[in-house]
This record gives sequence, C-alpha cells and structure tokens, in this order.
Amino acid sequence: MKKERFSWKFYRFYAEKIYPGLKRAVDFVLKYSGIKYLLGRFARLPIKTRKAITGYLYILPWLVGLALFGIRPIIRGARMALADFAGSKAIVDGDTARTVFIIDGFSLAQFKQLFEKNPDHVEAILTHLGNSLLIVPLVLVFSLLLALLLNRKIKGIKIFRTIFFIPVILLSGNLINYLSRYELLTVPALTGEQIRGFIAFYLPGSFADVILAAFAKVVLILWLGGVQTLIFLAGLQKQNRQTYEAAAIDGASPWEMFWKITFPALFPLMMINVVYTTVLYANLDNPVSAVISGAIAAPDYGRDYASAVAWILFAIELVVIGFYLLLLKLANKRYQ
Amino acid sequence: MKKERKQNIKKLLWGSRGEGGIVRLTAMYALLAGISFIFLYPLLQMIANSFMSLEDLIDPTVIWLPSKLVFGNYQKAIEVLNYWKVLRVSITVALWPTIIGVASSAVIGYGFARHDFPGKKVWLFILVAVFLLPTLLMSIPTYVIYNELKMLESLKAYIYPALTGFGLRQSVFILIFYQFFRMVPSELCESAEVDGANSAQVFFKIAIPMVIPAFIICVLYSFVWYWNETTLAITYFKGKYTTLQIALSQFESIYRHLFPSGNIGLGSANEMFNQGVLFAGTTLSILPLIILYIFTQRWFVESADRAGIAGE
Repeated sequence: MKKERFSWKFYRFYAEKIYPGLKRAVDFVLKYSGIKYLLGRFARLPIKTRKAITGYLYILPWLVGLALFGIRPIIRGARMALADFAGSKAIVDGDTARTVFIIDGFSLAQFKQLFEKNPDHVEAILTHLGNSLLIVPLVLVFSLLLALLLNRKIKGIKIFRTIFFIPVILLSGNLINYLSRYELLTVPALTGEQIRGFIAFYLPGSFADVILAAFAKVVLILWLGGVQTLIFLAGLQKQNRQTYEAAAIDGASPWEMFWKITFPALFPLMMINVVYTTVLYANLDNPVSAVISGAIAAPDYGRDYASAVAWILFAIELVVIGFYLLLLKLANKRYQ
Repeated sequence: MKKERKQNIKKLLWGSRGEGGIVRLTAMYALLAGISFIFLYPLLQMIANSFMSLEDLIDPTVIWLPSKLVFGNYQKAIEVLNYWKVLRVSITVALWPTIIGVASSAVIGYGFARHDFPGKKVWLFILVAVFLLPTLLMSIPTYVIYNELKMLESLKAYIYPALTGFGLRQSVFILIFYQFFRMVPSELCESAEVDGANSAQVFFKIAIPMVIPAFIICVLYSFVWYWNETTLAITYFKGKYTTLQIALSQFESIYRHLFPSGNIGLGSANEMFNQGVLFAGTTLSILPLIILYIFTQRWFVESADRAGIAGE
C-alpha cells in the first residue's frame, strides 16, 4: 500500500479550525484599520478613475526609483559639474575624524580647466565625436544588410543567426579592451597592403580614408550591431509579402522596392537604432570614458571634473543623435 | 527547344523570382560564411592563442593551430582568477538583480501598457530620457547618493535600484514589457474583469502567461549585462564582491604577484607568456555565458523573431 502524501486529517483540522480563525482576524484588521472602507469607496468610483489609480499603483515602484535614483543624481551631477570643488574632505572633530562629501562654490571652473589646461582631454573628446559620427552610420548600414541577409528563408539560416547573435551576449568593455589591445578586432586579410593600395588607388582620398578606417574597425562595427540587427530583423519579418508581390507585378526593381517599401517601413526602427547605437558606444570604453574614469581616481581632478566631462559626453551623444535623426528625416522626405 | 533548354539552365543558375538559383545561393552562403568568419575571428583567435605554449606565441609562423596543446595557461588562469570561488560570486551578483529587476520591470511595464492615467506621456518621456544619459554621468553622483543611503559594499547597490526600475539599463526592459503587454488582446482582460477578476488576478493569470517570451529576452539580457559590468561593480562593491570581470581587469597585477619569476626572463617573452594566460582567463570569463547561450539560443533567436522589440 502506497503511503498517501496528502494528509486529510491535517486538511480537515486546517479547514475547520485555522482557516475561519485566520479569516476572522484578517476581516477584523481590514475593518478597523479603515482599509475595508477605502476599498468599498474605491469600488464605487467610475471605472476610468479606478484604472488611473491602479495604473499609478503599478508604476509606483518606478516613481519611487525616479525620486531616489533618477532625479537626484541628475541634479547632483549638474551641481557637481558647476562647482568650484566637489569631493570628500576629512574633517577632524575633536578625536574623531570623518570624511564628508561637500560641494562648494558655483562657477564654470571645471569646464575652464578642461578647455584651457587639458588639451589632451579636449582631443579625446574630439576623437570620440569623430568616431561616433563614423561608427553610427556604419553600424546602422551593416546591421540593416545583415538583417536583410538573415531574413532570407534558406537552409541553415538558423545556424548563421545563432552565430551572428553571439556578440550580443559577449559584448563587454573588458573583452573589447583586451581584443583591441592585442589587435584581434582587425582582420589581417582586410587591412593588408594590397587591399589598402587598391582602395587608395580607386577611390577618392577622403572616402578611401573612411573605408579604410571602417575596415580597421570591422569586427567592432559588426559586434556593436547585434541588437540593432535583431530589431531590423523583427521589423522585416512583420512586413507584408503581398506588397512586394504586387510591386513586382507592377514591374518594380528590387532597388526601387527597397527604397519605396522597405525603407519607409523600417524608418522608425532606424531612429531607434541610431539612438541605441550612440548610447551603446558612449557607454563602452572610449577615449572620453577613459578620461572620466581616470579623473575620478586622480587627486588633482576628482569627481567634480569627471562630472563636467561626463556632461560633455552626453552633449556629444545628443549632437550625434540629432545630426543623424535630421539626416534620416531628410532622406525619408526625399524618397516619399 | 534549344531556347527552352537555355532558359532552364539560366533558371537553375540564377533562379527565378522568389527562388534562388545555384549561383545566387552560393554567393549568399559565401557571404554569410565570410561574415560569420569576421564575427568569430577574434574569439577563435583568442581561444587558439590560449592553448599555445610560449614558443608558439613568439613564433610568427604559428597563427591558428598550436603545435601542441598546452593546458598550463588554463591552470594558471584558474589560479590567478581564483576561478571557482569568483564564479560563484559572479553568478550571485548577476542572478539576484536579474530576477528582481525583471519582475519589477514587468509590473511597471504592465502599469504603463494597460492603464490610462494623467501624465503618462510625461513619465514615458522621462523613462526614455533616463536611458539616454550615459552610465558614467549618472554613476558619479549615484555613488555619492548610495554612500549616503549606506548601500555601498553590498548587493543592495544592485538590488534596490533593480527593485525600483533603475537597475542596469532597465528602461530597455520596461519598454520591452510595455510593447509585449500592449500586444495582449484587450478583450481577454476585459472579459476577465467582467467575470469579477480584480486587477492583480488579470495581471497574473492572463497577462503574464502571454508574455513569456519577453521574460526570456529580459532575463537573458539582464543577466548578461550584470555579468559583464565592470566599472560599476568595482566602484559599488569596493572589493567586497569580486566578480569574474573585476578579477579579469585586475588580472595582470595579480599574475605578476603570483608568478614573479616570470619577470626575470626576457621582457617581450614575458609579455607574450602573459598574453596566453590572459587569453585563457578571458575565455574562462565568457565560458559560462557561451554555455548559457548554447542552451537558450533557440528561444533567444526565436523570441527576437516575434517582433517584440520592434516598435509599433
């Protein structure tokens, strides 16, 4: 005979003795704490008001977080960047010594220090601006091409998809750092002398420079585009096959179809991807973030100076995003 | 007759509309294989180098395959990283904020997606704006505030923000849940409400089972991002918790401390030797993620297909 795992005896005891008692206790608390009254009032409210209140209850954690970890750091960061001095200071109070964080003065001293005394930091900022302006469109184009390729329904495409999304998992500052330090982010075959000579010979100067710079960063560009490829792929798979068939019957070439059908449909996703790429690149290890992390630890700069540079990093982000969103808008208007 | 045969061959090679011919397919596979190679090149090279002996690393003729497999690099890397202990810490540090953060993102995302309330657009705008701020910009004053709230040097520094929707890039997860919850047909929720279910019951019994893919995406991304985070982990934990990434960033100094005899040899030879062990360490640090990816890639790639991340 198998032993029963469920004890009826205990269940009966629970149902007859414990449960009614518990229920009475809960009712008692609800009634005399006024919660029951409030719930009754709440149930009689119009449905719209009720929805609004429950909505606010759901996002309440986020609002608390915004008050604690969202707004405060932003105000504090702005205040630190505009201070003469912000940092820890040791205060000796009788026998006990303690460190206090103080923010002192109100001026543009940090920005002055940056632009007047540290030309190498200004150079890092300009390098980052240039890099972002170069990398964002390249990542965008590559991820779009990859998504178009991966959207094909051919045998074994799943294997390729699995491979192409590996970087999304692995992309981290440390890894990129080590790989770039040992020059593993450039594929030797693409930066060899012959290809270099070929491109420099057949393409006009500045354009060839851009292409060569892209080749030197090819792995980084492809790796940065993982999530964007996913987003484009999702957008492409949503598209209607019949539109393409109809266009093909009307005699449209693939090129025309891309610009008239695919491009406008993917346009909102492109805007998302411009923003995402810029933010991703700003948060990875770049010249400016190296300056900031260095400044936090360095005794003659400190957190006030680091905050000022961090705001400039944000300004660069906004400039790059603004520039490319404007460009996209213009392109969209042109092809509409 | 002849013309027809010619056309058939042409069709076989170039394909007709909608179907690829041999030439087209070959070209596409070649392109895909080429790009795959570029994608995997740094990883393969790194793994290959991690098995190389000192002689192989110096020898310029040895590029891909080591002349003999050397596991010494891994032994040393495990010793330098203190691997098994640090691995456990890493998993703890990444897992708890992930679970808590994804749960809170789901609740917040549901609040935004399924309720109309005054000021919703403003809050959504702020949600996106927070994502735009560089992590470094926020991390400097955040450090000061965490210090005031006594959250440093403990997991609180990760868990409290995750609980309130301000964890690592959590705006993205809230937006993903927002998109997924909006795709749940509203008739389902309404009919349940008519039947007398309250808001919490609708949320748990109807809405959540329909957005399981969103949970999978968010858990994966969140885990990976917490796992890979280095700078924040160093500043917040101050050495209380050493994750794999932190150990990796301090790899060289620990290595020189543990194996000082290496410094006596030739400068460049020592550097190269270091490199083999360093690559072994880097491989070890991403190995758990690769294993995780192998097990979850099916859901990962498929759930991406469901158009969840993409906007409306």
